[in-house]
Amino acid sequence: MNFNFTKEQSLLQAMARDFAEKRLEPIARQIDEENKIPDQIFAEMGELELFGIPIAEEYGGADGGYDGYVLVMEQIARVSGGVAMTLAAHTLGLGAIQKFGTEEQKQKYLPDACKGKTIASFAFTEPATGSDPKQLTSTAVKESDTYVLNGTKRFISNANQPGPCVVFARESESGEVTAFIVDKWCEGYSISEPWAKVGMKGGVLVDIYMENIKVPAENLLGKLGQGFPILLYGIALGKVGTATAALGGTLAALDEAVKYVKEKTHRGAPIAKFQAIQLKIADLKIKYETARWLCYRLGWLANDIKDPAAFAAEAALAKAFCGDNVVEAARIAMNAHGSYGLMKDYNIERILRDALIGPEIEGVADMQKMIVAGSVLKG
Amino acid sequence: MNIVVAMKQIPDLQQIRIRNRKPVLDGVPSALGVIDKNALEAAVLLKEKQGGKVIVLSAGNEEVEETVKEALAAGADEAFLVLDDDLEGADGSTKAMVLAEAINKIEDVGLILFGEGSGDNYSGQVGSRVAELLGMPQAAYASSIEINDSSAVITRSLEDGDEILEVSLPVVVSVLGDINEPRIPSVTQILKAGRKPKEVLELEDLEINLTGLPEIMTVSNLAPETDRKQVKVASVEELLQALRTEGVI
Repeated sequence: MNFNFTKEQSLLQAMARDFAEKRLEPIARQIDEENKIPDQIFAEMGELELFGIPIAEEYGGADGGYDGYVLVMEQIARVSGGVAMTLAAHTLGLGAIQKFGTEEQKQKYLPDACKGKTIASFAFTEPATGSDPKQLTSTAVKESDTYVLNGTKRFISNANQPGPCVVFARESESGEVTAFIVDKWCEGYSISEPWAKVGMKGGVLVDIYMENIKVPAENLLGKLGQGFPILLYGIALGKVGTATAALGGTLAALDEAVKYVKEKTHRGAPIAKFQAIQLKIADLKIKYETARWLCYRLGWLANDIKDPAAFAAEAALAKAFCGDNVVEAARIAMNAHGSYGLMKDYNIERILRDALIGPEIEGVADMQKMIVAGSVLKG
Repeated sequence: MNIVVAMKQIPDLQQIRIRNRKPVLDGVPSALGVIDKNALEAAVLLKEKQGGKVIVLSAGNEEVEETVKEALAAGADEAFLVLDDDLEGADGSTKAMVLAEAINKIEDVGLILFGEGSGDNYSGQVGSRVAELLGMPQAAYASSIEINDSSAVITRSLEDGDEILEVSLPVVVSVLGDINEPRIPSVTQILKAGRKPKEVLELEDLEINLTGLPEIMTVSNLAPETDRKQVKVASVEELLQALRTEGVI
């Protein structure tokens, strides 16, 4: 068992930290306030090949694996939850296309998406589904060599950006849930205003309205009726991103707390000298380290998924833990700041708002625990 | 024309802790010198204009073979390494002899770049020593470098002004830390760094004799202790007055 990084992994982590500190940190508050990531940042992330880290080189990716992806995601999420959320949703969409797409679909959609010229989405949730996939109501009706899609998709990341969107709909003849690749902004595609969510701003969530969208039959992803396996696989892969985004938030909480307690003085001494504060720092460090190794391991597991159900349980476990963990960490760090932590002048205010997203997206924490319990109790 | 960039493996300065006024180096990973990275970036920018290869040159223990991947990721085309455990902690004089001899084995060298000082000891003498050993002109503290056919136009930023030199090639140049901002490497540049060509020599492959050299042991290398003045001010006016009194503003 070797927990050491290779030189390449160390350099990858250092590169992501360098990019995050130099390019994202100066504008992290602006991204939060405007709920928008500047185009220049998308271009730079494309040049650095951050949009296709786990995608194979033959499809324009960097072939850096999901273990490489978590090292980058952690450092980006440490600085900007919004950028992390955008990257996580994008990589989720690409992961599904890479796994289930035909050669033509992969050649058509992945190269531009890996460069950041297009940004991917993954659209399952509907107003009535919640976390219950069986309630899906969007329809796909076959008309000669096309499928006609209708329905509403809720809380879809990156749906405002052009690019491929993996959409789940019930195929009318078979009644089976099926996945399609939809080109965002095609005819019949429209979106709502962005949801004004509490945190991870810059990661834009909108509803998608599908009105008679004509999808060529060759854009069917996987097989007819294979929607659920694709959904489960895709969502499990997506949790690599969301769990690690929470990990980055936990690191941010730790770093901000350490910085503050060393600077803030009381009666002439830094408050870091007080044991009550030291206990908070210890709790933050423990929370960070436990989340870290779960995420790194999950990234490593995602590189070679032999048993999708077993991987889904691992991903649910990591996501359940890291999602709750980041909220607790951010609360502790804010508490170490005292009243100052409530002010927008201090990053911990944004870090706590970003953290609140963690337990709720891509399946609420309780849902993850049900998956974990199911894997433990089966048989 | 090829550009050689001499880079030194040093402990990662951000991970060093100080205990009893001495750095604790156990378990600290290695990295390349900070200003050496500016020298590399300057080389890569020149190569992008006029072609040729950027060859990173480093001498040290076996760990250098891993550490140098950082330079290969950041744009160097090849690595030329002299690896020997005896080189760990070698003084500037020894390192200069090794580097000069190694440069003699590299073809078509037009420019040899150093950082103005290493990231650990910052003695800033190896570049000058290498120039002397190779019989080449040298320009230190460069803030810009341009190559014109057989010469280089180098701006040296000195304390009381800039000096512009035109020097025939080949030339040894040490660059300032603010000559450029090193680029951030992409993911595949990092992942493929280890696949770039590397030539690895041992000390015995070089035609130099390091026996009998005077040995210099650094007994202590500490900055002088300074006391803060502990001036307390009660208002901005008092702060301004205090700064004026100190001649700061």
